Amino acid sequence: MVVRIRLARFGKKHAPFYNIVVAHARTARNSLPLEVLGTYNPLPQPPRPGDTHGRPWKDIQLDISRARYWIGVGAQPSDTAWRLLSMVGILEPKYRVGQVQGQVIKADSAYKSLVPPPTAAATETVAST
Amino acid sequence: MPPRLHSPNLASALTSCTSAWSQCIAQPTRISREFSQTSCQQVTARRRRFYEWINGPGAALRQPLPGSTNYLGAYDRYGNLVRASPGYQRRSKDQPKTEGEESKPDDTEAKAEEEEAPSGQDTIDELEMAVRRDEESARKTKSKEDAQRLAPETAEDLRPFPQNKFFRSQRVLSEDLREAIYQRVTKDGVTVSLASVEFGVSNERVGAVVRLKQVEKEWVAQGKKLALPYAKAVLDMLPTTPYVDPSLPENKGKRPITHEAINDLIVHPATRQQLFVPVAESRQFTRVDAGKAFDNNLLPADDRIPHPELVLAEREMATGLSFEERRRLAEERLAAEQEKKRREEEARLAELRAQKVVPKRRWDFVFKDVSVEHAGKDGRGVKGVGWRYGMPHEDRKKGQVKIPTKVKA
Repeated sequence: MVVRIRLARFGKKHAPFYNIVVAHARTARNSLPLEVLGTYNPLPQPPRPGDTHGRPWKDIQLDISRARYWIGVGAQPSDTAWRLLSMVGILEPKYRVGQVQGQVIKADSAYKSLVPPPTAAATETVAST
Repeated sequence: MPPRLHSPNLASALTSCTSAWSQCIAQPTRISREFSQTSCQQVTARRRRFYEWINGPGAALRQPLPGSTNYLGAYDRYGNLVRASPGYQRRSKDQPKTEGEESKPDDTEAKAEEEEAPSGQDTIDELEMAVRRDEESARKTKSKEDAQRLAPETAEDLRPFPQNKFFRSQRVLSEDLREAIYQRVTKDGVTVSLASVEFGVSNERVGAVVRLKQVEKEWVAQGKKLALPYAKAVLDMLPTTPYVDPSLPENKGKRPITHEAINDLIVHPATRQQLFVPVAESRQFTRVDAGKAFDNNLLPADDRIPHPELVLAEREMATGLSFEERRRLAEERLAAEQEKKRREEEARLAELRAQKVVPKRRWDFVFKDVSVEHAGKDGRGVKGVGWRYGMPHEDRKKGQVKIPTKVKA
C-alpha cells in the first residue's frame, strides 16, 4: 500500500490546524497515522513583539530528519505537503507559479528596455503605407 | 422633585409662543450662549443660575492653572482659589513674563514634591523629608513676590468631586519618569524589581511602563502620529510624580520621590476567608503553616511579597553583619540573578537559531525542528508534537482558562 505524507485537519470551525502525518493512502483523513511528523497552523500569526516592521508568520513544527527518511523510503507527499517540505529543502519545489511569474515579468521588462516602444510618428507612417 | 427635562412637545409649544421668544431676546447674557444647539431657548431658573455661575465663579475653571489640577474643590463659592494668598492674582496669558518667572521650574517641582504629602500615608517620613527639603530650598531662594507665589495643592484641592470627600485623585507618573524607567530597564539591563526599588514604583507598573514605552517607540519608528498635545494637556491637569534626575548638580544627594508603596502584600483569594485553626500550644505555628492552613499551595506571606530581597537586606542588617559582609552577600545574589538571566537569554537565542524562516510573498513560514521521539512508544507522550489522537477536547471542561493570562512584549 502507498504511504503518503499528508495533512490531517484538526482544530475547530474557522480555526484550522493540521497535523503533518505519515499514513497509508487509503486510510481516513483523521485516522491514527503511522507517525505524526509535525503540525501546520495555517492562520497567520501577528508579528512578534519587538519586531518593528515585522511580517505576519505561519507556525510549522516539523521533524525534518524524519521527514527526509520517509521521503527516502518512498513516501509520497501530497501537493500541500510537497510545498511545505520543499520550503526546508527536502524536495524540489513542484509548483513554481510565483517564481515563473517573476521570471516572465523580468524578461518582459528586459525586452522593453532593449526595444523602444513605437512612437506616434512611426505608427502614422505605418498607417500611410 | 419636578422632572428636569421638559417634554419635547411642551418645549416646542413654548418656543413657538411669541411671549417666550420675546423673553429670550430680552436676556442680556445671550451672547455667551452661542454654543447652545438646543431649540428650547426659554429661560428657567436653572438656566439662569447656570449662566450666572459660568460667567461668575465658574469662569476661573475655563482656563486651567498651569501645573495644577482644575477641580471644583480648589475654589470657594465665589470662584476664589482657596489656597491662594490674599495678594495672589492670576496672571493672564498675554501678560509678559517678569523676572520672577525665572525660578518657575524649581517652583513647580517643589510644588509637585509637596503635592504628594496628602495621598501616600505609608511613606510619610520620606515625604516629610521631601517637604522639609523643599521648604529649605524655598527659604534659600527667597523670591521677591511672595504674595504672587501660589501655595502648593493640599488634599482638599485633589478632590475632583466636591460631594465625595473620600475620593482623591492619585498621582500618575510624569513623562520624564516613565522615560527614565524605560531607559534604565532596556539600556542598562536592570531587572524590573531593581528598577521598582530604585524609582519607588511597583513591579507591575514598571512592567507596564516598559511595555507601553516600547509600543510608543515602535509607533514612532513606523511613522505613526501620536496624540501628544492630548497627553500633554491631560498630564498638565493631573497630579504627577516628578523625576529627580540624579545627574543634575542641583539634585545631588536627593533621593527619588516614591510613587507608591512597592512592597504591599497582594491579597490572595484563598486568604479572604476567616479561619480558626486549633493548634496545640506545644506546636510551633509559623507563617508557612498559616499559609498552608488557607491553601496547601499557598506560599507564606514572606515569599509572596513583591520584594523579599528588601526584607532580606533588613534582616542581614539586624543580625549585625558588617557592611563588607552584607555587600558581598548582595553581590553574590546579584551575580546569581544575572547568571540566571543570561542562561534564559541564551536558551531563547538557541531556540531562535533552531528556527528556519522562509519568507514568502505575504508571510513568513517559520519552521521549528521537533522530534517524533517525544511522542513515546504509544504516541501519547506529553511532549509529543501534534494534535492528540483519541483524546476528547477539554475546552468545555470546568476550570479551563480561555482568556489570555499574559501579554507578550
